Amino acid sequence: MKKTKRIIGGDKLILIAAIVVVTTLFTIFNHNYFSVTNLVNILVASSLVGLVAIGHTYLIIAGQNDLSPGSVAAFSGVLAALLVSNGTSLFLSFVITLAAGAVIGLFNAFMINKIKLQAFIATLVTQSIVRGFAYILCGGKPIAIGDKSFIALGKIRFPNLTAMGSDFTGIPLAVWIMLVAFVVFGFILSKTKFGRSVYVIGGNQDAARLAGLNPQRLVTICFMMMGVMCALGGIVFAARMNSGQPAANVNLEFDAITAVILGGVSFSGGVGTMGGTLLGVLLIQAFNTGLTMVQIDSFWQFVARGALLFFALTTDYLRKENHARQLLEASKRNG
Amino acid sequence: MGYRAMKGASWQLNNTLEFRNITKYFPGVKALDNVSFVAQSGEVLAFLGENGAGKSTLLKTLNGDYQPTSGEYRINGAPTHFRSPNEAIEAGVSVIYQERQILMELSVAENIFLGRMPVNRLGIINTRKANEMASAIIADFGLPIHPTTKVKDLSIAYQQMVEIMKAYSRENLKVICFDEPTASLSDSEIESLFAVIRKLKQEGKIVIYVSHRMSEIREIADKAAIFKDGRYVATVDIDQVSDQEMIRMMVGRDLGDIYNNLDRSKTIGKPLLEVKHLSSYYVEDVSFTLHEGEVLGFSGLVGAGRTEAMRAIIGADRMLSGEVLLHGKPIRCKSPRDAMRHGIVLVPEDRKTQGILANLDVGANINISLLDQHSNRLGVLDTQAEQQVAEKSIRDFNIRTPSAEKKIVELSGGNQQKCIVARWMCVSPKVLILDEPTKGIDVGAKSEFYRMICEFAKQGLGVILISSELPEVIGLSDRVMVMRSRRIAGEVPREEATEDRLLELGMMGSETATAAANHRGENEA
Repeated sequence: MKKTKRIIGGDKLILIAAIVVVTTLFTIFNHNYFSVTNLVNILVASSLVGLVAIGHTYLIIAGQNDLSPGSVAAFSGVLAALLVSNGTSLFLSFVITLAAGAVIGLFNAFMINKIKLQAFIATLVTQSIVRGFAYILCGGKPIAIGDKSFIALGKIRFPNLTAMGSDFTGIPLAVWIMLVAFVVFGFILSKTKFGRSVYVIGGNQDAARLAGLNPQRLVTICFMMMGVMCALGGIVFAARMNSGQPAANVNLEFDAITAVILGGVSFSGGVGTMGGTLLGVLLIQAFNTGLTMVQIDSFWQFVARGALLFFALTTDYLRKENHARQLLEASKRNG
Repeated sequence: MGYRAMKGASWQLNNTLEFRNITKYFPGVKALDNVSFVAQSGEVLAFLGENGAGKSTLLKTLNGDYQPTSGEYRINGAPTHFRSPNEAIEAGVSVIYQERQILMELSVAENIFLGRMPVNRLGIINTRKANEMASAIIADFGLPIHPTTKVKDLSIAYQQMVEIMKAYSRENLKVICFDEPTASLSDSEIESLFAVIRKLKQEGKIVIYVSHRMSEIREIADKAAIFKDGRYVATVDIDQVSDQEMIRMMVGRDLGDIYNNLDRSKTIGKPLLEVKHLSSYYVEDVSFTLHEGEVLGFSGLVGAGRTEAMRAIIGADRMLSGEVLLHGKPIRCKSPRDAMRHGIVLVPEDRKTQGILANLDVGANINISLLDQHSNRLGVLDTQAEQQVAEKSIRDFNIRTPSAEKKIVELSGGNQQKCIVARWMCVSPKVLILDEPTKGIDVGAKSEFYRMICEFAKQGLGVILISSELPEVIGLSDRVMVMRSRRIAGEVPREEATEDRLLELGMMGSETATAAANHRGENEA
């Protein structure tokens, strides 16, 4: 029962306003901030976080979470680079890497469904194990990518408008992949049986089961999806860096979770939209890039990011409080 | 030396606890409606009422677990408001729940003095002193336990005693409430609990005792405060009223006419659902048969295993042994989804946590059972079809909502429940299981439900109606199964189904009930 109201609601207008404010502020301090090059850079920087945030949107709506994406992305980059450098075809390398991502997701789901672990702690296990394997695979040293088409993946840009006299050389493929993923997974979330079921299990697993759903299966699918998103992100990231780096993408999940919560997904599950997440991703990346451009000390950047997450969570809390108050008022009216 | 003497505390014999216009709303429900009365020390006051009458909620608003929406408490005339159970305990108001609130790994003495262990000048805990003080309390209570024993090594009854002693150890204890304290105790254990309660009463504590068991209330309580649908009805002297009178006050009579006006003409057909010797972790050896067009009532106390039996049938809990036959063919439901495919559906008891999907709107709540039908091969939902089903259900079931897009939690309890019933009626079930369908629902909506239930049965559906409201079970059922202590205690045909008969079976079991009935017969003869 989707209504247009829900697609562009009050929350999203606030997010858009926040993006405008952040952009304006940073532009005042550094005029280069609001340039085509920089805006494209923000989008590029968003691409990996964006893919992971898509996975987090599903998981958090389903009442779950994942702390392993940074490790999985780094592992995937290394694995893909290694396979290709060993002569495996590009296509097969990617398929294997994506499958490995799915298996990692399956393992997360196994720990949560069968060993009844909390998602936070279960995925912390994976975070460490997978990071370890990323180092083990490459012996601790980044693996350079020699394959031309692999590197091209990080270089391709379109549409190229130079022929029309503009100096705009296009938007990188990484960004397009993210945008397409947002459209596809946004559609799945809002328009399909699976998407609807994800909202249901996030509200209350018990009620969902009694309503005829299979929450464990749905949780498994969400985690496998997340694994694939991380692997895809890791491959694209490696292509951009020309190498698979085992130490990369630390704290990736931090940015993704912040983005998702900023975007209006409730940490207690059952609530949120993909559009909100996209705006959240853009906001956090505009913020992070801005901090660097106005030359905020990198140590202070950690503090600023933490503060942003705190702000997001507080907003989430206030939203819930407000909702509870409205409900109580409503029931008083009903008598 | 007794503990009180040790602490130099005197008895207070004239405590009062006043409930003033206590009202409590939950989303969708008015749980307490303007409750006012006074409890005095020197007497044990029982809280009597059906399930959902508001007894437990009242205790929880008293000790700060819930905050009353309006109204106030006065202890010895002084307005009192607790923000948490801890504050209440510190002020001398304790509630002893069915579930233990003690720490299993600590000793008896450590539990009794949790957070206030005696310390020396350096702040180091004086275990010896704690054990001495605990021994004094244990001696006061006359119990054969040792202060250094770990609580996990005690029986459930003694664990409960530790909890009571913990409350008792507060010099300022004024009010002590027991919420169904005997649910898991044996007869002799109940006796020692009662001895303790009498002692507390003598010392001038205000004792509140919540129980469903009439015989116990007769034995221990002096007065009973009777509740119905969140409202306080009256306080009676136990000695001056009969059980029947009290039950009458609990259930009320205002629904009588509703049942009489129901159209119950229908034909009861072939056996539809046969359950044979079903056992799960929660029920033992449950057997019954439901026929087409029949309303089969399930009566019994809370915790008797009625809900659990149904959960095992639909695969929500694991079935350990036994057999379920549908139309004479054995079926096995591994999950509620399987059950749904077989046409067996359940409207659960706890609407808020098991029934409604709180974060979704009315339409999605109804359509959840039709996700498969409404999606194409790629899983894309046909929102137009959903909209149509939602609108039709809202009309057919008279769901009062401004639109299908309204969040379900914003509806009243009765309308939420109609959505759940509509959800399952959409799949054209064969067996409809309703678990306390009218709990916390206003009278108007109740009568709508009763008409619906009769209508469903008339269409040939088998309806299982679990209800703790006796007039409801009696007024609607063609037959009543009574459960007690996880088993079927008896089967009562419609003609013989009276409140006395069902209560006796539910509270005492078949043998005692029959004996009691015979006894009455002899007396009358």
